[in-house]
Amino acid sequence: MTTTPLPPTGSSGSPAVELRSLVKTFPARRGSGRPAVRAVDGIDLRIEPGEVVAFLGPNGAGKTTTLDVVLGLTTPTSGTAEVFGRAPRQAVVSGQVSAVLQTGGLLRDLTVRETVRMIASTYAVHTPVDEVMARAGLEPLADRRVSKCSGGEQQRLRFALALLPDPRLLVLDEPTAGMDVTARRDFWDAMHADASAGRTVVFATHYLEEADSFADRIVLVAGGRVVADGTTAQIRARASGRIVSATLPPVRAAELVAQLRTLPGVGSVEERGTRVVVAASDSDAVARFLLAAGGSDLEIAAAGLEEAFMTLTTASATARTSTTDTTDTTDTTDTTDTTDTTDTTDTTDTTDKELVG
Amino acid sequence: MNATFVLLDLRRITRNWSAMFFTAVLPTFFYLIFGATVDAKGADIGNGNVAMYVMITMAAYGAVLAATSVSANAAVERVQGWGRQLGLTPLADSSFVAGKAVVAMSVAAIPVALTYALGVATGARGSATAWALSALLALAGSSVFAVYGLLVGTAFQSEASAGAASGSIVVFAFLGNLFVPLSGGLLAFAKFTPLYGYAALARYPLTEGWLTDGSRDPLWLPIANVVVWTLVFGALATWFVRRGRERQ
Repeated sequence: MTTTPLPPTGSSGSPAVELRSLVKTFPARRGSGRPAVRAVDGIDLRIEPGEVVAFLGPNGAGKTTTLDVVLGLTTPTSGTAEVFGRAPRQAVVSGQVSAVLQTGGLLRDLTVRETVRMIASTYAVHTPVDEVMARAGLEPLADRRVSKCSGGEQQRLRFALALLPDPRLLVLDEPTAGMDVTARRDFWDAMHADASAGRTVVFATHYLEEADSFADRIVLVAGGRVVADGTTAQIRARASGRIVSATLPPVRAAELVAQLRTLPGVGSVEERGTRVVVAASDSDAVARFLLAAGGSDLEIAAAGLEEAFMTLTTASATARTSTTDTTDTTDTTDTTDTTDTTDTTDTTDTTDKELVG
Repeated sequence: MNATFVLLDLRRITRNWSAMFFTAVLPTFFYLIFGATVDAKGADIGNGNVAMYVMITMAAYGAVLAATSVSANAAVERVQGWGRQLGLTPLADSSFVAGKAVVAMSVAAIPVALTYALGVATGARGSATAWALSALLALAGSSVFAVYGLLVGTAFQSEASAGAASGSIVVFAFLGNLFVPLSGGLLAFAKFTPLYGYAALARYPLTEGWLTDGSRDPLWLPIANVVVWTLVFGALATWFVRRGRERQ
């Protein structure tokens, strides 16, 4: 079973990834008092061949666990996962899927080249060692010990390893976590340079900038569920349109904040010192309320991707409101469907600069 | 069996000089001190002499140390992320284990070969059967301690655990009648410790069970010791490996 390459035929026409009602729970650890964790709480997701998809979400959102299932590293508690129409482990064995893992360990006392040779030896057929090393920009490091490589260099090594089977699906789990700006750019340059036609790429990240600049599609995950799914523009449009902020009269601040939360169309209310920052779809109503209540220094700004992210993930974390839940089938008025591109009437200014997370 | 994988792994492990010093050079050095240079080295024991007795003991000690440290390191590397990296390849768990077994036995063969070569040069004497059989038993028996290394590495999951596994072998060696000839109550206790049966068995072709204090172990005693400890290590290792898997 280790060396028989499975034919790629028979899987054409299947989606690259198909997850149905995926649930993964981790049991409570005996004696520790830690309760059971529902890391993935019912994810449905279909990724077509050739798509470049960002899995965006805060830490602990269930991104890594979901990708582990896709890679056959863990089995779901319930639900199903298929990669090119077959079980994940089979897809791995046939070299159709490979990954750069956040926590994928390397042997510190091997050299870079030895590591590539070692992993290459596990495949019956693989891209030549020299070729993947060149593509990942590892030639100058070939004889360096892994322990002497920087984090960014080790990540490029993992990338080279992932290229060995010439996979149709490449999974990247937080590929640039912990890298400085230069290393991050080098890594994505290597990724772009590799952009072989038709390779499906799924990457997890919590850098909005990366999701925005590299992905065609963003799947926003929070609390083990998909809270939004669409193009960057769609996700941005999902944010409650604008950010309204004002300085409140100190004596009534608490009372006003409470009232703000009850206003229709208000996504989130946050106090920053004496100012209150409100994300709302009806910014006019909020502005009117704030001015009438004695607020001053009023500012209204268009919401960026970051606000969209905050609004959507916070909402799902506190009370899963109907507007942010794709798995809620009764919620048909929403724009969570990827095919729904009609929601372009939103007044959100798409030219504003996103903040980098 | 994946030859490239095994050879690269073997090269990686054997070029770690500090680890190789403890597993390969130190046992040889012990043989020189306690065997080749003592006055009584020419005295007869069973089918050979004292130098041969010490040579077998130290070779066994080195083999056990090597097997333990290779498997403990393998277990630690696996839980620290290399296992996830390998999980992305077609390599099956069974191939990984088989490959590691070959590596562990190859590394264990180094101190055995070195000590025996030095024994030939420094006057260790014994029957041909004793030479061949003792080397084989020392090598084969060390696989039991590969299981012990796996158990310790899986249980503690840190780099320190590989050191702890090797360190505990030194303690077991003292308790198991390997370093200092024991007698009386301590010897009676030693017969229950993990290294006693293995070392006694490796020396059996030479000593036929005779001990330095003039008493004699029946053959079933070292065999029973090895069987019981193999079962204990195997059961514990299985339990720890399962526990580690559930936690993922």
